[in-house]
Amino acid sequence: MRKLPRSLRFYVAASTLYAAVVFFAVQFIYTFQLTQSGLLVAQRDSGNVLSSIQIVSFIVWLGISLIAAAVMHRLATALAGAQNAEEEAKTAGEQKEQELGSIFGLSSAIAGPLDLEQIGSYFVAAIRGALPADMTLALIVYDDLLEAFRTVATDGPRSAALREKSYSSVALPAVVRTRVIDHRQSLLLVDDAAHRDMWKKVVEELPALGTAKSFAALPLISRERLVGALLLIGEGTGDLIADKVQLPMIMGQYVAGSIHSALSVKEAEARAEREALVNRVAQRARASLDPEEILRGTVEELAKVLDVSRALVCTGATEDDLAVSYEWDAAGVAPVGIGAKHVPVARLAARLGRTIIVTDVRQDRRFTDPRAAEDVIQQDVMSAAATPIRVGGQLAGALSFSQIDRSREWTADDVRLIEAVAQELRVAITAAEAFERQRTAVVELERLNRAKSDFVSIVSHEFRTPLTGIQGFSEMMASEELTIDEMREYAGDINKDAHRLNRMISEMLDLDKMESGRMQLHRERLDLNAVISDAVDRVRPNAPQHPISLRLDPLVGEMNGDRDKLIQVMANLLSNAVKYSPKGGEIVVSSRAEGGAAHVVVRDHGMGIPKASLETIFERYGRVESAETRHIQGTGLGLPIVRQIVHLHGGTVWAESSVGEGSVFHVTLPRAASGTAAAEAAS
Amino acid sequence: MSKVVFCEDDPMIRKLVRAALRSTSHEVHVAENGKLCLALIDEVRPDVVFSDVMMPEMDGFGVADAMRARPALAHIPIVFMTASVQREQIEECFRHGAAGHLAKPFTMTELRARVAQFFKN
Repeated sequence: MRKLPRSLRFYVAASTLYAAVVFFAVQFIYTFQLTQSGLLVAQRDSGNVLSSIQIVSFIVWLGISLIAAAVMHRLATALAGAQNAEEEAKTAGEQKEQELGSIFGLSSAIAGPLDLEQIGSYFVAAIRGALPADMTLALIVYDDLLEAFRTVATDGPRSAALREKSYSSVALPAVVRTRVIDHRQSLLLVDDAAHRDMWKKVVEELPALGTAKSFAALPLISRERLVGALLLIGEGTGDLIADKVQLPMIMGQYVAGSIHSALSVKEAEARAEREALVNRVAQRARASLDPEEILRGTVEELAKVLDVSRALVCTGATEDDLAVSYEWDAAGVAPVGIGAKHVPVARLAARLGRTIIVTDVRQDRRFTDPRAAEDVIQQDVMSAAATPIRVGGQLAGALSFSQIDRSREWTADDVRLIEAVAQELRVAITAAEAFERQRTAVVELERLNRAKSDFVSIVSHEFRTPLTGIQGFSEMMASEELTIDEMREYAGDINKDAHRLNRMISEMLDLDKMESGRMQLHRERLDLNAVISDAVDRVRPNAPQHPISLRLDPLVGEMNGDRDKLIQVMANLLSNAVKYSPKGGEIVVSSRAEGGAAHVVVRDHGMGIPKASLETIFERYGRVESAETRHIQGTGLGLPIVRQIVHLHGGTVWAESSVGEGSVFHVTLPRAASGTAAAEAAS
Repeated sequence: MSKVVFCEDDPMIRKLVRAALRSTSHEVHVAENGKLCLALIDEVRPDVVFSDVMMPEMDGFGVADAMRARPALAHIPIVFMTASVQREQIEECFRHGAAGHLAKPFTMTELRARVAQFFKN
C-alpha cells in the first residue's frame, strides 16, 4: 500500500478532530437551548432525533473531508511527480551539456595549437573524466619522419611503460595492425574465458599491458587518413564496454582532424627543409670548386635530414671499382672505413643505373648472394638506399645511405631528395672537374710559355756562343796580319762553329718535323751494337772525366732502323749522361736481347732526376730547372728528339733515377724478325 | 805586367780570346769552369777577371761571390760575358758585383778596349 504523505495524514486527523468538536458543540448548544425554552418535552425522543441528525452530519463531514484529502493527495502526488520529472529532465540536460561542453572545450582547445604533444594532452585531459580512474590511456600518432607510431600523450597507472615510445607498424600487436591500422576498425579485447588465447598473444606483443584485463584500440581517422590511434587499458574486465568508449571515440574524431593538420604542417616543414637542403647543395656547389668539399658538406647534411645511421660516398669508374671515399656516421655507429669495397647496395645501384631502396636487407631477394648479404649484415644494416652518380654518361660513384637500427620504408620523398642531391652533386662535380681541367690546362700553358721563353734565352745563348767564334775569328782574319797557317786554322774554326750552328738549327727543325709527323726514316738493316759503339766513340773524346764501359749482348743482332737517327739517340743519351754528371763517374752502356726486342740501358752516376720530372724531361723544353742544372747548357730538345726517334722505330724509352745517385735511361727497340730467329737459334 | 783571367767553358771562345789578346801586352790566363777559375785567380792574382756566366761546376756568379768572400780577392774587378741581352740577366750580373758586362757576340775591338780600360793608369 502506498504510504500517505505526512501532511495528508495530518490533514485527515485535523479535519476528523474538527468534525468531532463541532458535533459535540452543536449537541450541547441545541440541548441546552431547547431545554431552556422548554421545547425539550420528551428529552429522550427529541434527544435521539437530534443525535441521529448530528451523527449523519458528522459522517457526511468526515466523508467530505476524506474525499478532499484523497483529491488533495492525488493532486499532491501529481504535482510531486511533475516536479520530479522536471528535476530529472534538468539533471540529464546538465550531463549532456557537460559532455558537449567538454567536446566543445576540447575542439576549441585543439583548434589553436599545432603541436602534437599539446593536442594530445588536451585530448587526454578531456576524456580522462569519462573513464575509470585506474584506466590507462595513450594517444599514438603516425610520425611520417620516424615512419612509426609515436606516443604523444598518455595518462594512467601504466603510462610509464608507454611514454616516449615509438612503434613501427610491425612492432604493434598483429591484431591491432590488421584490425585497427589496415581495416580502421575499433578493437575491444577482454581477458575472459572466450578470448584467453588472443589476450595472451596481445600481452606478449605489447608488454605494456601487463596484468590489465581489457584493452581497446580506437583508430583516429581524418580525411581518409589514419593519423593515429587511442589505446585504452582497463584493469577490470568490464571497464571497456561499448558504452564507455563512446565518448573517447567521438572526441577522437574531433582530435583526428587537429592531429592531421599538425602532421601536415610538420610534413610541409620537413618538405621545405628538404627543398632548402637541395638549394643549399646547389649553392655550395656553385660557391666551391673543390669536389671533396662539396661532397663532405652535402652528404653530412643530407644524412641528418634523412635521419639515417650512415652515409657513404663511393667513387669508382666501374661497379667493381666502387670504394668508400667519404663516410658520415651517426653517433655510436661503427664506421665502415675509407677505401672499403663491400658496398653491395651502392654497387647494385651502379649496375642498374638507378636509385635502389631496400626496406629490409635480410628479406630482400636481390641480396640473396650469400656473400653480399653477409657484407650488409656485417655492417648491421637493415635498410639502405643508394643512387648512382654519373658524370658525362660515365659512372663516377654512388651515394649510399643506411639504417642500422630499424627497417625503414623509404618514402617517395626520400628517393626524390636523394636523387635531387645526387643530381646537384653531379652538376657540381662536373663543374669542378671542368674547372680542374681548365686550371691544369692554364698551368700547362703557363709552363709551356715559361719553357718557351726559357728556350728562347737558351737558344739565343747557344746560338750566340758559336756566333761569337765566327764573328771574332773572321774579324781577326779581315783586320790583322796573320800567317797563312793562322788563316787556315781560323777558317777551320769558323767552319766548325758554323757547323755547330747548323746542327742546332737542324735539331730544332728535326723535332718539329718529327712532332708533326713529317719525318721520314731511312730504314736499313743495321747492327744495333755497332750503332751503340759508333755513338760511344763519338762522345768519348769530349768526356775525359767519364769512363764509358760497354756491355753489349751479341744476341741483340740486327734490326731495321735509321742509322743516323739511332746514333743521334745514343749520342743524346750519352752526352746527357756526361753533362749531368759534372763530377765525372763511370757511364755504363749495355744491350740485351729480350724476346723480340732489344733493351739498351745507359746508366750514369750523376745528379739524378727528381721523380716528378721523370716524364716531363721527355717533353719539349722540359729540362729540369734547378740551381744545379742552370749552368748546364742544353736546348731542352735532346730527350724529346730521343723519344720521337724511338717511337718512330716502334720502341719505348723511359727513365729511372734517384736524386744524387744517378739516372738510368732505358730504350727498347724491335729487333728484325730474322735477327730474332738467328738469336734464338744461337741461344 | 797586367794580368787578365778569362773563364769560359766554350773552347772556341777561349781560343779566340787568346788569339785576340796575343798582340797586346797583357798576360792572359784561361780557365774552363768556375772552380778552376777560382783556383787560377788565387794563384795568378790578376788585375781583372772576365767570366762567362753559364758554366759547369761553378757558374760565373759563384766565382764572383767566392771572390767577394775572400779579402785577398775581393778587390779584383770582374766583368761578365753573357750571350743574353735580357735586362734582368744583365741586372743580375751587377747585383753580383760586376764591374762591367760584355755581350756575346763581341767584336775583337770591343774586347781589347774593355780589357785595356782596366789598365789606363
